Amino acid sequence: MTRVLAVWCPDWPVTAVGVDAGTAGAVVAQGRIAACSAAARAEGVRRGQRLRDAQRRCPDLVVRERDTDAEGRLFEAVVEAVAGLTPRVEVVRPGLCAIAAHGPARFYGGEEALRVLVQDTVVEAGYDCGSGIADGLFAAELAARAGQGGVVVPEGGAAAFLAPYPLSVLDRPELADLLARLGIRTLGAFAELPSGHVAGRFGTDGALAHRLARGEEPRPIAPVRAAADLSVRAAFDPPAGHAEQVVFAAKRLADELHAGLAAAGLACVRLEVEAGFADGHVVRRLWRHDGRLSALAVAERVRWQLSAWRDGRPAAGTDPEGIEAPAGEEAAQEAAVWGGVTWLALAPDQLVPDGGRQEALWGRTAVTDRVARAADRIQGLLGHGAITRPVLAGGRGPGEQVVRVPVGDLPPGNLPDGPWPGRLAAPAPAVVPVAAPEAELVDADGAPVVVSARCAVSAPPAALVVGGRPAAVTGWTGPWPADERWWDPAQARRRARFQVVTDDGAAHLLTVEHGHWHVEATYD
Amino acid sequence: MPEAALRDLARSLEHASAPPARAVPVLPALRPVIPGGLRPGSAARLGGPGAASLALALVAGVSRHGGEDGAGGWCGIVGVPSFGVVAAAGMGAEPERLLLVDDPGDRWPDVVAALAEAVELVLLCPPERPGAAAVRRLSALARKHGSVLALTGPFARDWPGVRLDLRIDGAAWEGVGDGHGRLRGRRVRVVAEGRDAPGRGRRADLWLPAADGTVRPAVPVRPPLEIVPPPAVKDGAPVHTRRDGEAAVVRIREGIA
Repeated sequence: MTRVLAVWCPDWPVTAVGVDAGTAGAVVAQGRIAACSAAARAEGVRRGQRLRDAQRRCPDLVVRERDTDAEGRLFEAVVEAVAGLTPRVEVVRPGLCAIAAHGPARFYGGEEALRVLVQDTVVEAGYDCGSGIADGLFAAELAARAGQGGVVVPEGGAAAFLAPYPLSVLDRPELADLLARLGIRTLGAFAELPSGHVAGRFGTDGALAHRLARGEEPRPIAPVRAAADLSVRAAFDPPAGHAEQVVFAAKRLADELHAGLAAAGLACVRLEVEAGFADGHVVRRLWRHDGRLSALAVAERVRWQLSAWRDGRPAAGTDPEGIEAPAGEEAAQEAAVWGGVTWLALAPDQLVPDGGRQEALWGRTAVTDRVARAADRIQGLLGHGAITRPVLAGGRGPGEQVVRVPVGDLPPGNLPDGPWPGRLAAPAPAVVPVAAPEAELVDADGAPVVVSARCAVSAPPAALVVGGRPAAVTGWTGPWPADERWWDPAQARRRARFQVVTDDGAAHLLTVEHGHWHVEATYD
Repeated sequence: MPEAALRDLARSLEHASAPPARAVPVLPALRPVIPGGLRPGSAARLGGPGAASLALALVAGVSRHGGEDGAGGWCGIVGVPSFGVVAAAGMGAEPERLLLVDDPGDRWPDVVAALAEAVELVLLCPPERPGAAAVRRLSALARKHGSVLALTGPFARDWPGVRLDLRIDGAAWEGVGDGHGRLRGRRVRVVAEGRDAPGRGRRADLWLPAADGTVRPAVPVRPPLEIVPPPAVKDGAPVHTRRDGEAAVVRIREGIA
């Protein structure tokens, strides 16, 4: 029988959505309470209640929708804390994890000491928990929930420990219901039944429950295999002074990396390239690719990374640190700087199962290899967000209708959709400045044109002044009011748009907001 | 520098031996001024008022009709943060085949060099006076890969070796009155000059843009000849004059002339 230590975080679904135990809170799934905090339980809220009943018992109940993703994500922190003590941790479900207690108990000086240590570690990580040690996972979980923060059930004492528990802890409602009608209400009473008869009457699942009730183990504990370190690394001794040397090594490393990934049946979405220099500088960059990066492509990226960094550093002579003094020849470009490269590492990031790749047939334009290469190169020079692809989105103004997505990223999914009453009609302006320059629109007397709250124009505009240069207005139209997001005071905007043609043949889209005029766009 | 000269020679030989690349296509409405499309590897300059619209039209042409199978090509737009994507889409461009590098800073030659290998048209607004070395390098790259550089902005005129100058003349917006209406279109005369448009250059009257945002030829459409029935005036009935005076007579004259 294996000794198992279980770490149980109470009311994990509630903790995961950010409600602490002192607040009366609950998470709901399909209109019923899935879990509630201790404070809510004290008010009479129970699992499985309808939300209405729960709110009747506890009117100031904080209610959240259940978020299983957040539960799993947040539980990683607990698992990490436990893994700091002993590396092989099995996550049973978010809120409950287990370790084999035998070895660590000897290392940390006894089972009670281990239990307290694990509990303290998790509490220090910021999560309330109980931990218990018993024979088998089932008993260990109940031991973790027993007492104040869990107990240690002595070896061979699982059956006695389990005996007083009601049948509902088996989490088999139909079986518990049937047994209750047969007069069996505790695990102890259930365990006393002859196992052959239980298997004959209740089938495999019943036999499994019977084993649990007797303190036997249904299955051995199976810790997850620690994620294999698939990163590859090469060292240079003496430090590599020429980029070519590094790129050549990168090609070999990329082959190794691909062999490792292929053996694990994985593909990586991103690749981290790190290069360390003799004086301790480390240059690190993430490269993203839709498909698989070939060895050559990896080598190319290493070259770009090195060259981008080299071009980016201060020019020779103006280098304030005076680390090197190149002779000004072409060879000096390749010369060792920062003492040369001492090591290079390629680490795959975001591993996904390698499911092959399917090119789009119709509809979507795939980024061709040549374009992807050029984009990667520009991202190496200027950063990830420097090269973008526009996506047309909803909006009224010409600038609002375009979202720029960096090449390689997916377009945002939550683009606003729907009819846009008051959207600017075609033709669209050809010049849409990022920051609209200020302008002045004046009437024949030289007074600024004012638009009233009822969208009445004070006087027909006669001249438009942009950047100090006036131009006579030959035609104008407006105002077209745009009262946007009035329901949200922080983002509300109230504007009016005008189209104005001036005597130099130009046409502008003007916006007036709070009495200030701006050239939102120009029909150049 | 004999080595450099040799390299240049090698490049030009390489170009000479390569099969002539396909012309970079333009919108159908621009074909009267740029017949057959833009010469691959050349540079075109867009100047004066309306340069932004011409740039959009060139980008739209490549995006719509470019590519290896004519299903659509890629364009790079460097240093033009105010590029009107919506207007380009209205002229026929496919936004997902545009690559925008809004702020290349002083690395613009490297950015253009990277793009010239991948896309058919690079619209470039140089942020500074282009150096001779950068011009030579980018022109050679464009020639090698058959892409076209479209130059705009204040430093475009400092670019040597431009084969085509595009500008617009006599722009007139229509549709806006005195406090009513909306911009419906602009009649322009597009003028192409330079070595690729020899002589006095080429001209075309266009709607740039038309009311639906596209680019269309603005040929004065002459109404077809039609028989105008004589006004059936009964004896003693009042004669209604037409609003435009002698419209019927004029129409016949126009048809004859």
